[in-house]
Amino acid sequence: MWIDAVRLTCDRIAPPHTDKGESMKGIIHIPRVGPVLVLLALLALVVGCLAGPVGAQSGDKPQEPGKEKRVEFPVPLKPLPKTITPCRACHGPEKDFKILWTRQEALRVHTNVQLKHGEQRVWCLDCHHPKDRNYLLPLSDGKKITFARSYELCGKCHGTIYRDWRRGIHGKRTGNWNGEKKYHLCIHCHDPHSPKFKALAPMPPPRKPRTPREIAKH
Amino acid sequence: MPRSGFVSGALKRLVTGPPVYYTWVALLLIVAGIGIVAYSKQIQAGLVVTGMTSYVSWGLYIGNFTFLVGVAAAAVLLIIPAYLYDFGPIKEVVIVGEALAVSVLIMCMLFVTVDLGRPDRIWHLIPGLGILNVPSSLLSWDILVLNGYLFLNLFIPGYLLYKAYHMKEPSTSFILVFILISIPWAISIHTVTAFIYNGLVARPFWNASILAPRFLASAFCSGPALIILVYEIVRKYTKFEVTDEALFKIAEFICVAMFLNLFLLGCEFFKELYSDTHHLSPMTYLYAGLQGKDALTPWIWIAFAFNVIAFVIFLIPATRKNFATLNLGCVLIVLGIWIEKGIGLIIPGFIPATLGEVWEYVPTSIEILVTLGIWAIGLLVFTLLLKVIIPIETGEFTKGTRAEA
Amino acid sequence: MNEQKENLSAEDRVPESSVPESEKGAPCGSEGLNPDRRAFLAGAAGLFGMMAVSSCSWQEFFQQNFQRMTKEELERSVERLRAEYKAKYGKDFVVGAEGPIDGTLFGYALDIQRCIGCRKCVYACVEENNLSRDPQIQYIRVLRFEDGNMDLEKSTIYYDPEEVPEDGHYYIPVQCQHCANPPCTKVCPVQATWTEPDGIVVVDYNWCIGCRYCMAACPYMGRWFNWADPVVPKDKVNTETHYLGNRPRMRNVVEKCTFCIQRVRKGKYPACVEICPVGARKFGNLLDPDSEISWLIRNKRVFRLKEELNTQPNFYYFFAT
Repeated sequence: MWIDAVRLTCDRIAPPHTDKGESMKGIIHIPRVGPVLVLLALLALVVGCLAGPVGAQSGDKPQEPGKEKRVEFPVPLKPLPKTITPCRACHGPEKDFKILWTRQEALRVHTNVQLKHGEQRVWCLDCHHPKDRNYLLPLSDGKKITFARSYELCGKCHGTIYRDWRRGIHGKRTGNWNGEKKYHLCIHCHDPHSPKFKALAPMPPPRKPRTPREIAKH
Repeated sequence: MPRSGFVSGALKRLVTGPPVYYTWVALLLIVAGIGIVAYSKQIQAGLVVTGMTSYVSWGLYIGNFTFLVGVAAAAVLLIIPAYLYDFGPIKEVVIVGEALAVSVLIMCMLFVTVDLGRPDRIWHLIPGLGILNVPSSLLSWDILVLNGYLFLNLFIPGYLLYKAYHMKEPSTSFILVFILISIPWAISIHTVTAFIYNGLVARPFWNASILAPRFLASAFCSGPALIILVYEIVRKYTKFEVTDEALFKIAEFICVAMFLNLFLLGCEFFKELYSDTHHLSPMTYLYAGLQGKDALTPWIWIAFAFNVIAFVIFLIPATRKNFATLNLGCVLIVLGIWIEKGIGLIIPGFIPATLGEVWEYVPTSIEILVTLGIWAIGLLVFTLLLKVIIPIETGEFTKGTRAEA
Repeated sequence: MNEQKENLSAEDRVPESSVPESEKGAPCGSEGLNPDRRAFLAGAAGLFGMMAVSSCSWQEFFQQNFQRMTKEELERSVERLRAEYKAKYGKDFVVGAEGPIDGTLFGYALDIQRCIGCRKCVYACVEENNLSRDPQIQYIRVLRFEDGNMDLEKSTIYYDPEEVPEDGHYYIPVQCQHCANPPCTKVCPVQATWTEPDGIVVVDYNWCIGCRYCMAACPYMGRWFNWADPVVPKDKVNTETHYLGNRPRMRNVVEKCTFCIQRVRKGKYPACVEICPVGARKFGNLLDPDSEISWLIRNKRVFRLKEELNTQPNFYYFFAT
């Protein structure tokens, strides 16, 4: 178990770069700070497990420098596709499968998921908590991220977008410009597995003005 | 009751005349009637029956208005040589110019009225009842100056004719004040009309300092040219005397004005072609066509040819003093300036549109009929005015004489 | 016309004081060289004909400019309008006349990096603001440019691909920019259009004489003319309206985007902001330093169209990476 944690940490420091999905035994270099990192990772896991229920509470006011007049509203979670059973049905502390640390082409039972997020840079366990699949990876303070607060995870890599989203510049808002607004979470618009927007059909173009010839028939 | 003598005398003169007079008036009445019928169709259906769109939102009506304001201004500007330089031959004939100005002003007001979407709301323009947006809106200024000019052109000849009818000498000092006011006023009506277009930042074709000078230069061509033609007709059919000298002098003025007009056109060509910015596009549309659309190109080149030919005719003394070529020159100038300043100025201002699109404009039959109707009304007013004015001027129609045919 | 007269009681009749002097008694008969006489008589002569065709009541005909109306006059006008709309559409309309909210100046920003040219905003606006379907009026024009330039003469609004966004192109939607130094309001000969204190440039449709000078003056194609009677399907008409905004208009007057005045003065976003699927449109109060729009202007590189014309639009464009 501990070696898994170490590998996880080291993957984040020096990600494997191969598109074959083979195991990376010979390539990962465990730095000398390894043992310290291992201890920290263990600590994080322990704290994360304990703090999980606490971290899942909604209504925390985010820390914004300067002003803060806006309240973050928890919004109803986008319904998961019906084909997905609750994660705990298969993953959990009690029963689980062998954790696959490296990218696999076949997603086993999750065949409905098309993973196209950052090409080779992102893989399932870059977001999903390996041990507790009802959560996403923790923040640096160890708190596991709930699906309802998935934006905190997105913000780890997409920091500028996260900043803009917090200020209302990125993403759609509806409601009142001077009062209550309805925000959209990242996953309301972006499918986290395949976040790029699909092209859509545009609405019809405007009618062209009557040409002189048409007018002349008047 | 002196007025009834005048009224009955005038009325009698209006309804009697040579056969050509009857034919002319009947023709004008028919065309005016057709115009009124066409306008009523426009009222019923809305402005959609015109060729205007939200891209080219002004068309034939405003083009005619622009041209005619120039004619009105120039008609009175003959006063400058007549009174300031006491040039005898022109002094007597100024009154016809003022009658022309009155008729043309009526045409201008009619053209603006038929162009309005909601003529039923025209009372909104009356200060006090509605709101007249001075000093901000140039259109409001134009309404003020045009109405003031109409007043001046009714009052000055009205006063002089009244005195002539009663065989009394007019008080020169009294009327001189009004005449002197009317000179800058005549320049101002056309300058204000130019400023209507000039101040619009959205239309680079108009937003150039050269616009007002060009307006005035082309006005000084077309107005006097019409006057020359009118005088020739008047002196042919009435006892009104117009010396050849006066006509040739007017032709000289036209020559200078046309030179200025062509020179300013050349300046515009240079600036747009050499700088080669997007501001060149309206000119390209007009003279060569843009994106395959070139409805106005043959028209503007014809106008250019007319102007140049007329300039040459007026420049050379031999052709200037030959009535055949003089008349040809006048006709060419009127047509050429009408094209250049009427449609050749208004339409390209809207092409390309402010966001880059190129949509053309072609007037519909209703627009053409209404335009012809208004011209007929203007010419009718002018004819009727002259039918009363000329006899007063020649002394045939005074208080003492009985009304004769 | 008859139906709306039924709804008017005796108290609704315009009191004597607001009938213009010149209309009392016979329109003809004044002597003297009144310079306005000719134009006025021509107008008066056409009065009856115009009114018959324009199908409005006497009271509506003589109502004043919105800015000069008394509260009672406005209420009467609203009642007339509601009766007219009920007769025409069979629905109860709300014709509000809310004034500006204190301390607001509306600003708008559009993210060009995000716009995909789907035109949902165009049609949301059409529905919200009761725009005529035939002849077609659309306040928002989505310009498609080629990558590499912002040349208006090479742009088009008529693109019709299978899918958007298209490769090699980008999109800039343009509507009325609600300029702080508008070239359109200064040219109106009757002050039928003006800037409200909250920055919205509005038109009083009952005062506009249809001269279209403001349309010649606008550099952004923000203004549109009803060349014919506007056609709005009864089942799609929006009954929540504002006097200066989306109430159903009449023929031969100018209309334009009003930042959905009927919505924003109640605190809501304009329809185009709400509908945009990618959240490219941002709106708020420029005078509030904490608003989205203020933060955006401070922190994003914003620009405005045709800045050199000094129209000072309140409509900004930016690129959020």
